[in-house]
Amino acid sequence: MRVVTVPHYLDEKAFDTLAGEIGAWPPAGRLLFDARATRWSSPFGFTALLTAGEALRAQGAEPPRLAVPDNEDVSGYWAKAGFFEHARSFFELHGRIPRRPTADASDVLLPVTPVRASQDVHDVVGRIQEQAARILTSELHLEARATMRFSMALSEACTNVVEHAGTGGWVAVHAYTWRRRLGRRVVVIAVSDGGVGFRQSLEPTEAKKYGERWGDAAALEAALIHNVSRFRDPGRGQGLAAIRRFLTAWNGKISIRSGTARLAIVPPWDDDPPLEDGLAYFPGAQVQIVIPAQDLAAA
Amino acid sequence: MILTIRLHEVLRSTLTTPSRDLVTRTTGAAVRVTIERAIQETGSPATHLDFAAVGLIDFSCADEVVAKLLRLTAGDHFVVLRGLDDTQAEAIDHVLERQDLTVTVLSREGGCRVLGRVTPDQLAAFEAVQTWGPGTAERLAERIGWTVDRAADALQSLALRRLVLAASGTYAPLPLQ
Repeated sequence: MRVVTVPHYLDEKAFDTLAGEIGAWPPAGRLLFDARATRWSSPFGFTALLTAGEALRAQGAEPPRLAVPDNEDVSGYWAKAGFFEHARSFFELHGRIPRRPTADASDVLLPVTPVRASQDVHDVVGRIQEQAARILTSELHLEARATMRFSMALSEACTNVVEHAGTGGWVAVHAYTWRRRLGRRVVVIAVSDGGVGFRQSLEPTEAKKYGERWGDAAALEAALIHNVSRFRDPGRGQGLAAIRRFLTAWNGKISIRSGTARLAIVPPWDDDPPLEDGLAYFPGAQVQIVIPAQDLAAA
Repeated sequence: MILTIRLHEVLRSTLTTPSRDLVTRTTGAAVRVTIERAIQETGSPATHLDFAAVGLIDFSCADEVVAKLLRLTAGDHFVVLRGLDDTQAEAIDHVLERQDLTVTVLSREGGCRVLGRVTPDQLAAFEAVQTWGPGTAERLAERIGWTVDRAADALQSLALRRLVLAASGTYAPLPLQ
C-alpha cells in the first residue's frame, strides 16, 4: 500500500503535487489517499480526486483507500459538497463520514454531480440557474443576463465531457471568498474527467501540423486558443471560444489541465503562467473556470 | 403555407425528463431531426422556429438546431426565428457569424432583424426592404443614394442568404404570416 498525501489546501495547484505522488499511470500497487490533515478543497479538488478514484477503478486497480479529513467541520463540508456520496463507489473510505446535510441556500451552488450523458447536462443547467442568479447578481455584481451566460458556459464545459472524453466526468460549482489570490468573492466551476484527454482526442487531425511540438501543451493550445476540434464540422470548437469570450468580459479565468500540461487564459489579477508543461501526468482533462466579483470601484 | 415549430414542444417530446433548455449537441441534433422531418412532411417553403418558452440555448445546441438546419435546407426554403430573448439571440448570432451564415429574426415587438454575418451594405438593404416593401435594385438605389450596381449587389447577396425573396428582379421581405 502506497500513501498519497492529500494536501492541506487542495486546489488546482496543490493537485499537481498529489498527481506527482501518484506517479506513473497507472500506479503500481494499491494506493491510500490520506486526507486526514486536509483542511479545505476547492471544487477542482473534489472533482479531480473523484476522477482519480474512478480512473483507478477503470484501470482495474484494487479500490484505493481514502482516509477522510479528521476535522469534523472539514468532513462536514466535504459531505455537503456531495463528495462522499460518490466517493463510496470508487474508494474504500476510512474515518468518520458525516451524513450529508439537507440542501439549503449555500455556497455550494452545485454539489459534485456526475456528467455521463446529455441528460445530465440538462439536469445540471436546470438545477443551478436560480442559485446562480442569486450569487452572480447580488454577490458578484454581474449584470442580470450573466446568469444565462454562466449557464451556457457551464453547459459547454459539461458537454465537452459528453462529446470528447470517452468516459463520464464530474462537475461542481462553489462560491467562496478567494482570500489568497484575490481577496474577493468568486464562483468556481470545476469539470473533470479521466478520459482520453486533449492530446489523444486531437492527435489524428492535429499532430502532423505541430510536428515535434505535438504534445499535451500543443493540444491544449489548439483547442483553447485556436478553437480546434477533432471534428471537421465547421460548427465545432465553439464552446471553449464562447467561454473565453464571457470570461474576458467578466475578468475571469479559465485553465485546463490535461495529461502533463496546463493552459490558462490569465486575467490581470492573477500571476499564474499561461502555460505549464512537464507536470505530473494525470488522465483526462480538468477544467476550472473562475468568475470574480466585479470591482465596483473600478467600474 | 408557413410551418411554425414551437421548440419547447419539440424539446418536451425529445427529452425523457422535462427541461426548458436547449443544451448539448445530442439534444440539438434530436430537435433538428424532428424539424427536418416536419419540413419534409409538410413540404412547406418556409419554417418559423418559435423560441418562446425555451430557456437558454447554448452554442453547441445553437449550432445543431439553427446553423445546421440553415445549411441542410439551402435552396428555396426560408427559415425565420421568432420569440428569441437577448441571450438566445446572442448565442445564435455568435454561431452563425463564425460560419458565415445568416437568418431573419422576427422580434417580439414585430420588427425584423438579421442574426449572423452581414456587411453594412447588406444590412442597409435588408432594412430598406423591410421598411419600404418589395422593390427593384433601381428603386433601392434611388431611395438610399447608391449606384444601381451597389444596390443590386447587396440585394442579390440577401437573396442568396435567404433573407429576402427574389423574383423577376424584385426583392421582397420574407412572408411572416
